Amino acid sequence: MSSRFWTAQGDSDTEEEESDYEDGVERGGAAGESAPHAGSRYLQTNASDSDDSDGQKRVVRSAKDKRFEEMSATVDQMKNAMKINDWVSLQESFDKINKQLEKVMRVTESDKVPTLYIKALVMLEDFLSQALANKDAKKKMSSSNAKALNSMKQKLKKNNKQYEDLINKYREHPESEEEGDEDEEMEEDEDSGSEFEEDPSKIAMRSDSEEDEEDEEDREDSAAEVGGGWEKKMSKKDKLMDKQFMKDPSEITWDTVNKKFKEIVAVRGRKGTGRIEQVEQLTFLTRVAKTPAQKLEILFSVVSAQFDVNPSLSGHMPINVWKKCVQNMLVILDILVQHSNILVDDVVEPEENETQKGADYKGTIRVWGNLVAFLERVDVEFFKSLQCIDPHTREYVERLRDEPLFLVLAQNVQDYLERVGDFKAAAKVALRRVELIYYKPQEVYDAMKNLAEQTEDTENGESEAGEEPRVEESRGPPAFVVTPEVVPRKPTFPENSRTLMDILVSLIYNHGDERTKARAMLCDIYHHAILDEFSTARDLLLMSHLQDNVQHMDISTQILFNRAMAQLGLCAFRVGLIAEGHGCLSELYSGGRVKELLAQGVSQSRYHEKTPEQERIERRRQMPYHMHINLELLEGVHLICAMLLEVPNMAANTHDAKRKVISKTFRRLLEVSERQTFTGPPENVRDHVMAATRALSKGDFQKAFDVIKSLDFWKLLRNREDVLEMLRAKIKEEALRTYLFTYSSSYNTLSLDQLTKMFDLSETLTHSIISKMMVMEELHASWDQPTRCIVFHDVEHTRLQALSFQLTDKLSILAENNERAYEAKIGGGGLDLPLRRRDGQDYAGAAAVGGKWQDNFSFSQGRQGSSGVRTGYGAGGRPFGPGSSAGTFSRDRGGQSRGTGGYSGGYQSTRSAVRGSQMDTSTRMVSLNRGVRA
Amino acid sequence: MATHDLTPRIAPNLDRHLVFPLLEFLQERQLYPDEQILKAKIELLNKTNMVDYAMDIHKSLYRTEDVPQDMVERRAEVVARLKALEEAAAPLVSFLQNPNAVQELRADKQYNLQMLNDRYQIGTDQIEALYQYAKFQFECGNYSGAADYLYQYRALCTNSERSLSALWGKLAAEILMQNWDIAFEELNRLKEIIDSKSYASPLNQVQSRIWLMHWSLFIFFNHDNGRTHIIDLFNQDKYLNAIQTNAPHLLRYLATALIVNKRRRTQFKDFIKVIQQEQYAFKDPITEFLACVYVNYDFDGAQKKMRECEEVILNDPFLGKRVEEGSFSTVPLRDEFLENARLFIFETYCRIHQRIDMGVLSDKLNLNYEEAERWIVNLITTSKLDAKIDSKSGTIVMEPNHPNVYQQIIDHTKALSGRTYKLVNQLLEKAQTQAAR
Repeated sequence: MSSRFWTAQGDSDTEEEESDYEDGVERGGAAGESAPHAGSRYLQTNASDSDDSDGQKRVVRSAKDKRFEEMSATVDQMKNAMKINDWVSLQESFDKINKQLEKVMRVTESDKVPTLYIKALVMLEDFLSQALANKDAKKKMSSSNAKALNSMKQKLKKNNKQYEDLINKYREHPESEEEGDEDEEMEEDEDSGSEFEEDPSKIAMRSDSEEDEEDEEDREDSAAEVGGGWEKKMSKKDKLMDKQFMKDPSEITWDTVNKKFKEIVAVRGRKGTGRIEQVEQLTFLTRVAKTPAQKLEILFSVVSAQFDVNPSLSGHMPINVWKKCVQNMLVILDILVQHSNILVDDVVEPEENETQKGADYKGTIRVWGNLVAFLERVDVEFFKSLQCIDPHTREYVERLRDEPLFLVLAQNVQDYLERVGDFKAAAKVALRRVELIYYKPQEVYDAMKNLAEQTEDTENGESEAGEEPRVEESRGPPAFVVTPEVVPRKPTFPENSRTLMDILVSLIYNHGDERTKARAMLCDIYHHAILDEFSTARDLLLMSHLQDNVQHMDISTQILFNRAMAQLGLCAFRVGLIAEGHGCLSELYSGGRVKELLAQGVSQSRYHEKTPEQERIERRRQMPYHMHINLELLEGVHLICAMLLEVPNMAANTHDAKRKVISKTFRRLLEVSERQTFTGPPENVRDHVMAATRALSKGDFQKAFDVIKSLDFWKLLRNREDVLEMLRAKIKEEALRTYLFTYSSSYNTLSLDQLTKMFDLSETLTHSIISKMMVMEELHASWDQPTRCIVFHDVEHTRLQALSFQLTDKLSILAENNERAYEAKIGGGGLDLPLRRRDGQDYAGAAAVGGKWQDNFSFSQGRQGSSGVRTGYGAGGRPFGPGSSAGTFSRDRGGQSRGTGGYSGGYQSTRSAVRGSQMDTSTRMVSLNRGVRA
Repeated sequence: MATHDLTPRIAPNLDRHLVFPLLEFLQERQLYPDEQILKAKIELLNKTNMVDYAMDIHKSLYRTEDVPQDMVERRAEVVARLKALEEAAAPLVSFLQNPNAVQELRADKQYNLQMLNDRYQIGTDQIEALYQYAKFQFECGNYSGAADYLYQYRALCTNSERSLSALWGKLAAEILMQNWDIAFEELNRLKEIIDSKSYASPLNQVQSRIWLMHWSLFIFFNHDNGRTHIIDLFNQDKYLNAIQTNAPHLLRYLATALIVNKRRRTQFKDFIKVIQQEQYAFKDPITEFLACVYVNYDFDGAQKKMRECEEVILNDPFLGKRVEEGSFSTVPLRDEFLENARLFIFETYCRIHQRIDMGVLSDKLNLNYEEAERWIVNLITTSKLDAKIDSKSGTIVMEPNHPNVYQQIIDHTKALSGRTYKLVNQLLEKAQTQAAR
């Protein structure tokens, strides 16, 4: 027996398929013995002169071989038993093989367990789990059989524990479910790889980086024996394929292809199926497919097999596989465009032989598949790869350059779907495109456009190089269905990113589902904000009522919302709307978890340890580096806004600083910095703003501006000069206000000219600012027109008076709270407040709600809102003045309650709600991912 | 001249027939070349049935006696269709013209239908025909007939959608007949329906409201109490929202109404906020004037704007309505507006000043010195202004006006007892009803 094996080694393997077991046994023995130098052995076998080198070991081997033979016979028995589901005999065999193992170990005098045995264990385990899973079959079993099954379960579990490592190791290389031992498997795998190198599917193989290098080495070997050599080395399956397809291409029928296809697909996802191998096999099949529909069907499987290549949720798909996948998708589209009678559908299970209908078939052919799901998956993989790759490497940049590739695909898919009339799906695809574009300012967009046009040129070159394999194709089996490239391979971009966004977004608004629309809206807002169109962005945000609903959405949408808000805040700042900017940003900074809220890095919390699970989930949500919003800039802008609002505010309420706080964060920082014994030169953003604050509160606008100007994030702004100029003007204005608040009590009169000179402001502006302060009754003074002076009135309230005002305020708040409580309980009748609310809300999605602006959203609460509060608190008393009707009264209350509840109060609650939902939606996140994958 | 003309923005929200008065006005003001307006008129008429009128215009536009063939054909077609509709609606029309028969109708719609069906063989088909006939009459320019028929139709119709469009038609007809009182009633009826009806999408409702507001402009600026009513309507939250969303140009009319109306100061502050918010969407001299006075306190700017406002008012078809008095015509709204605007400026100006030079003031008020003095004396005597004129130095001196602290505190707390009382009452009522149950 043994000699037969060794002699056969030199010849062709093909005749002795039945003798495989013996082969396996003997090889297994060899492996058990010469495992350490498996590599050299491989070379030897290849050279087919192993006989003499092992000469003197022969004697030993025959004894050993006997044991192995016995063992393999047992394995054989087990297999048979499995086939008939006979657990009783299986149990017997199992006991037997364990005994044999002892013998084998004794004979080989090594402590290494033969692979054959491990393989048997794995096989048993798999079969067992399969049997256990199949409840119906279990019920049908005879009692003895079922009993055996159970005891087998116990035994196997116990037994396998000893060999856990080996089993795992084996499972890691489950390249084939063929018989034979591991070593041989490896060989086959590599060889079959190199075989494919020879094959027309070269392109497909080339990028398979893991095997590439080995292939290079092997190629020389295998190249020498191309004639019979590679055929011999091929795995059985490939051989089969050869027999069917390679030898006589003309005889291939639809049926054979279909059968083979079903066969391959059936093993998908099973343990022990080589994922990459499966892709290759399927790719091979696409070439021999008989009808376009069949090719399409197989291509779909190829794509899903490619998705399977990366099994883990956190890792990403190898980039080359990703690229191939995109190419395959394009081919799919080619076919679909070319044969418009083919319908892709994932609802209806197509008839068995639907794909048999040839290219000339006129009726509709249904093929199972879901373009959108595939596309989304491709996008997800792209996103994940960017998450994983270190952004400071060249690889990251390279990866970013693949973006146009995806955009082409998405564009084509969308075009196709629109042509077919599936607008819902098209909207989903459009969203994917929007999400790649929304964060790009015009400059980046232009760069991308240029890149796309460039790559087109280089790709032309590449495709010429790609001609070669196509020539070779004639040598191998020719592709039966030749698919010309119908779909454009080059993305077309409109001149302007805004135009593109508008097109896509309007499609989504018309056809998308709720989530798609919400996301598109957020992207739209973000993009408007980037382009400095604050009012448009703000209106969109208010009209969509997103800030009311966002708590109920999934986390990635919430992140997008936060990003949009951050960008909106930056935009407001750039156009000089300080209060609005602060309103947008303060929310983000109130919890001190900006990084987490924007998904730009994991923030450590002192009080709350995260479980590894949570951390992993959070990592999965991270934004890729190129989409980040610069955190320094964001923090700087937030603090500067807070400074501009807070400094005059603090100056105005010196005696009662606690009462009105615009920005808690800012106040806290200020306290901390004031507590320092020595103040050094500013280092970080906070220090700078604090230094500026100190200067500003003394009225020294020049120093304040200089300190802020020295911050280095200003270079990130496009219109840096304008923004700084605006900032300078704002600082001057606020300095003037602060100065007046602080020092007005020291003056009796103050001339306008002096003030304009002091603060370097224009006369009209100074006049306007001071007039405003007078009207708002922030400043108790009036103009003396002929002398152009401010005359200050001495109307400071006495302490008693001030306190009694506070008391009345408290009283009115109390009354109001009572009314509220009543309304909440009863649902309101006489106070017509809830009614108004409802009316406001029935505009959902349509109306920019004027009054609601204040209620929902505190960004206009800065100056404006505070003035409302001021009248409420201070001298004005508008709501309670005589003649104010109930209508105005309840309307005012909206504004006022905001003020009383305080910025933080109102926000804290929403914030914590958001936070809460973030905590418990971690599971939802996972399921969402799954949804995308399915 | 035409920069602030709103006609292009208003017209899309009006009925074809309602645009005519606007075009007539523009023609009169000669803001646009005559030819352009005549062409616009023909275009308007092309979709209506007023073919004869269109022919006349065509003749005057091209100064020919020839009329294009398609107009002639269209005329024949219109006449034929009129005949057909008349016949279809004849039974019902004759019934309605018989006063004895009409008396048999009762308030109960079902009964009426039944009765008509039984005794006059008038079924739903005939009623439907009446609607079509009325519509056709309207298209032909026979507004009074259309209004009558639509009124009758509404009494008989059971389809609420149809009834609504009949109401729109009635409103348009009444506006075109300049029956402002009736039109105002119809307007209120329509408003109620729009507010209470449930629309397929909120967008439709907003659109209806915007139409309503546009149509109402005709009524409000002609009706006696229109200027108060316009504030009542436009300043409602729902309507203000609609304006802000889709028709910010209507702010001009609301602003004007608010300026002219002295008693509506309470709503003023809110309105100023709205104007500020919508600044980017709509700007015209009238809103800018308000912004100057109340937001920026830029009195020189306000001065300039006031002059522009005058221009705008004269050229606005709604605001610039003329009243013929004997041989010369005046624009009453303009005078009122200017007077009030002046007052606004002066008021605010005084609020923040202690001493004002008369000369400067007369400049700011667009008056000469004498007039200014007279004007101010007038104000002082009617005790609208707490000030004295120092005629030696030529200044006005304001009396310092600081509200009494005690008064303030009383003001603050005065409302509290009322509110609490109300609350308690409500609670008691609720408790009683619950106890009763």
